Amino acid sequence: MIELRNKTLQFSFPEVHPDAKLKIGCQRTLRIPDDGKDYPLPPGLGLFRIKHVDDYGQNVPDSWLEHGGVMLPMYQSEALWLNFDSDFLFAHETSYPFAIKVAAGKINAVTGEQWTDWLQRNPQDYMVSKEQPWLDGYCVEKGFIRQFVAMPLGAGYSAEEQLTGAGEYGGLQIVVYPMKKKVFERRFAKIKQIKGISDDSPEFQLTLSQSIGAEMGLAPGGRMRQEIYDDPFDLDDWEMDYKSRCFVHIANSLVWRSITGEIPPTVPFTAKEYTKFGLPWFDYYSDDSTALKGSKKLNGLKGVVEMGQDKGEVPLPENESITPENIIILRAGLNKNQVREGTF
Amino acid sequence: MYCVVYGTHMNEIFGKYIRERREALRENDSSYSLRQVAGRIGIEPSYLSKIERGIQTYLSEGKIIALAKDLNEDPDILLALSGKISTDVQEIIRKRPRLFTQLIRDLKNLPDHAVLRIVREVRDGKW
Repeated sequence: MIELRNKTLQFSFPEVHPDAKLKIGCQRTLRIPDDGKDYPLPPGLGLFRIKHVDDYGQNVPDSWLEHGGVMLPMYQSEALWLNFDSDFLFAHETSYPFAIKVAAGKINAVTGEQWTDWLQRNPQDYMVSKEQPWLDGYCVEKGFIRQFVAMPLGAGYSAEEQLTGAGEYGGLQIVVYPMKKKVFERRFAKIKQIKGISDDSPEFQLTLSQSIGAEMGLAPGGRMRQEIYDDPFDLDDWEMDYKSRCFVHIANSLVWRSITGEIPPTVPFTAKEYTKFGLPWFDYYSDDSTALKGSKKLNGLKGVVEMGQDKGEVPLPENESITPENIIILRAGLNKNQVREGTF
Repeated sequence: MYCVVYGTHMNEIFGKYIRERREALRENDSSYSLRQVAGRIGIEPSYLSKIERGIQTYLSEGKIIALAKDLNEDPDILLALSGKISTDVQEIIRKRPRLFTQLIRDLKNLPDHAVLRIVREVRDGKW
């Protein structure tokens, strides 16, 4: 089951294991320049607001109600990353493992293939938590992604439109599979019992349906250093019978008020402004994990700037190159609760 | 008599839980010493030590929430272990006491997964 709590999607699988709980957050972030350079990881600027689509049934397209799930607001050319987090289980000295598949516009963000509801190993079309702490974009080659950048659905920029010729779905799609209970208990046997605690305790007047550009898809933006890690477990270790999936619709922030009645979010910092103040960027390494090769299909996509040049448009304002100097190195395993937040 | 025994037992469970969580964190991070944790939540180290040993009884709701945040724990769980109910939950019950007390009693014997189904889920549809 999936619940929406504190702006976070909380996946839990009580039928599989009481500790099988995963939180996925959608983080606002800087859009890195789409200039051919490779950038480090930008910071998290807070979680996007997320709402149940069912709560605003009169104001969202019928297709959103059909898909179910949740929605969040993004400005055109704003960027997003996904944070994967599960509680550290002291008794097992690990977090409960999950296989996570992410797509944008039903295009798999790791392989570039069309959405499927099952897991595939060769090539691997999913990520594993806790090995993979976050995902910032499309996996275009080994060690590099292209950042998720929101563009209006129908404008031709999204990976979905470039690969299928149609902007039918937009948004993000997420499916999560927990590790099988027996496998978890075999691989991560309990080392100590905490006595007394039971394991079982637990002012735009646009409307979305009328406006062109109100629904957003995710296009490939600037290049970033980020590895997508190989699954260290066996495909058969994942509990295929108890998946949970969520459709995350993306509304243009300009129509957020007409849907929800709420003031739209503020416009995020630009990467240039952020860097000018010497605020930190990040690099993350995991010495124990192997990175996937990346998708040729995704690598062949045009970035937002290149696509804009073809169309005679300037889709990304403030796209000047920058040189991040304050880069903090994060290493896997150094601090299990480390998150990619700077002081700002 | 029942209340005294029950209260003492609760103190021990709460204290033991706090100590085990703090010491587990301290294995990788020395800032989780008794002194530093107590300092961050604004109490004396000796007082936190007594709480961890189940001797001292009182810690305010605000301090328990601060302790939960510092130890990366769920505040509601720590409040429950200390025998408290958070103010916002009390307020919810106070507004409709008959309904919510009856609801909680009715849910008492249901298994976890059945209770979790009552909590609102994100609805999946047809993609």
